[in-house]
Amino acid sequence: MTAPFLQIRTLRKDYGIVTAIRDVNLTVERGEFMTFLGPSGSGKSTTLYILAGFENPTAGDILLNGQSLIATPSHKRNIGMVFQRYTLFPHLSVGENIAFPLKVRRLPKTEVDAKVAKMLKLVRLEGFEDRKPAQMSGGQQQRVALARALAYDPPVLLMDEPLSALDKKLREEIQHEIRRIHQETEVTILYVTHDQEEALRLSDRIAVFSKGVIDQIGTGPELYANPSTRFVAEFIGDSDFVTCRVLSARDGRAELAVGKDMTISGVPIHGSAAAGSNAALMLRPERLSLKRGQTGGNGLSATVTDITFLGSNIHVAATVPSGEALSVRLPFGHEATAGLARGDTVSLGFDPASAHVFCA
Amino acid sequence: MALLTERDNTTVMGKIRPVRSRNFALTVPALLLLVVFFILPVLSLLLRSVLEPEPGLGNYQALLGSTTYLKIFLNTFSVSALVTVVTLAIGFPVAWALAIMPSRLSSIVFAILLLSMWTNLLTRTYAWMVLLQRTGVINKTLMGLGLISEPLPLVNNLVGVTIGMTYIMLPFIILPLYGVIRKIDPAILQAAALCGATRWQALTRVLIPLATPGMVSGALMVFVMSLGYFVTPALLGGTANMMLAELIAQFVQSLVNWGMGGAAALVLLVVTLALYAIQLRLFGTARMEGR
Repeated sequence: MTAPFLQIRTLRKDYGIVTAIRDVNLTVERGEFMTFLGPSGSGKSTTLYILAGFENPTAGDILLNGQSLIATPSHKRNIGMVFQRYTLFPHLSVGENIAFPLKVRRLPKTEVDAKVAKMLKLVRLEGFEDRKPAQMSGGQQQRVALARALAYDPPVLLMDEPLSALDKKLREEIQHEIRRIHQETEVTILYVTHDQEEALRLSDRIAVFSKGVIDQIGTGPELYANPSTRFVAEFIGDSDFVTCRVLSARDGRAELAVGKDMTISGVPIHGSAAAGSNAALMLRPERLSLKRGQTGGNGLSATVTDITFLGSNIHVAATVPSGEALSVRLPFGHEATAGLARGDTVSLGFDPASAHVFCA
Repeated sequence: MALLTERDNTTVMGKIRPVRSRNFALTVPALLLLVVFFILPVLSLLLRSVLEPEPGLGNYQALLGSTTYLKIFLNTFSVSALVTVVTLAIGFPVAWALAIMPSRLSSIVFAILLLSMWTNLLTRTYAWMVLLQRTGVINKTLMGLGLISEPLPLVNNLVGVTIGMTYIMLPFIILPLYGVIRKIDPAILQAAALCGATRWQALTRVLIPLATPGMVSGALMVFVMSLGYFVTPALLGGTANMMLAELIAQFVQSLVNWGMGGAAALVLLVVTLALYAIQLRLFGTARMEGR
């Protein structure tokens, strides 16, 4: 049995009395695109900085091909990194920037030149080698930074919100470039972002960080369909929450009472709750069905508060009797939306298996 | 009428010109002061250098033709160069440390730097004499520790001048260098490290090139100031390594030879201006390329 390619084991980092990350465990396969997703201060960047060697962990270990990296200084880790800020060397040209890691490794000049040309081609910036970084746009600078980080064929490439300084259109363009470069080079990428869309678009797997721990690791669809915490459910995709009462729970499925007269069973439950205690029922706006009129017991009755036309979708905002607001997403032209108006009473239905209950 | 022409200027030449010409009037008092108390005396000294004791370039011939005087020129340049190099070597790490240390600590160091700058120059130089002389604190300590048996000659020679002047010049190199290093994003050095650069390579290939504008301006400032320095060389130096300012003082005060004094002063002024021109050239363009 071979050791996993990259393994992070019970990593912990304390700053004084503040714990930045704890119990971070993660295994990354060779060639995988793994994204650390989370809000600022969730510990995703700290984890990346420990991988880069800029921070020492308080406890835990990082193994690359079974070898611990902790005692190795940054410059000997042979890891590539693209930073959030522009970090090209301003006194060097684009070509010299890409050549820098090769020159400090004392490679022969012919080899350096060939590699620089290859890297410029990879990031599609041929002909720019004599420009100074200050003469290039932000997007171009980050592509050069990517070329510099890949020039020495690092086994792992770290990217710390590399696109956050760019505008939306440019960001999407470079996301495509990153995907293409990942496929061409087959480099293992660890990518940090707070943008769920970016994470979903780029990643093979996503590790969702919250308050210094990894809440869940999985592919985008896994996280969306089976969030294990309320935080993940809120962070990936849109979600509605309704307070409910747990009647009973067995084998990860719960029977719940919602509102006055609705009882449902077979809802996946996360966390432990005593019978009779309150919990949060999570529903996806696009998985809700909407019927006009009263419920008759097998749906949530709600009052429409707003209707928004959004091209292919129509958003219906509705309030349940307890006062909680829900949003429902229906395809344009859905029969239930015809003639629907504010103040109408509707019945919202859902498949219990697509909902989730999170205990406080 | 005046208002009207200004308006015209605004539309024809853009907005800056009228404002500039109006502000120029405010500089007149300062310019007058400079003309009366600086330019006229310098011109009169310059005139005396070609008129006394008789009209002609005799003073300059005497000055540049004599090996004694040439030696003093040479000594002035080499002492200034030495002071500049030593100041840079000490000032760079200090500026770097100041740039990366927590601001609470750096403000204390700055306070020390500024306090030393504000203390009277003579006082500071005499203090060095006390420290460096044969029976001074340094020699006594070293002898007390048994490291030396004879007192080291630390004063009235090149060592004394270099120590004293380096100490005085340090703030002039640390302050501009600190400003330049402060502006370098630490992430650039992190990037260099991940690229595989050792600390030494990151220093020589990234940090020093990026700090070069600050080093050049600081070094030129120190060099030029050192060229004309009088008090420290006079008190801490020996007769064997006299500097130009001491020579000028001797011409004027002891020998009452205003002609020779003026000639020496003019040579010093020309060299200083030439260096300033070089600084402007190198530095003006370097700055523009950097942006």
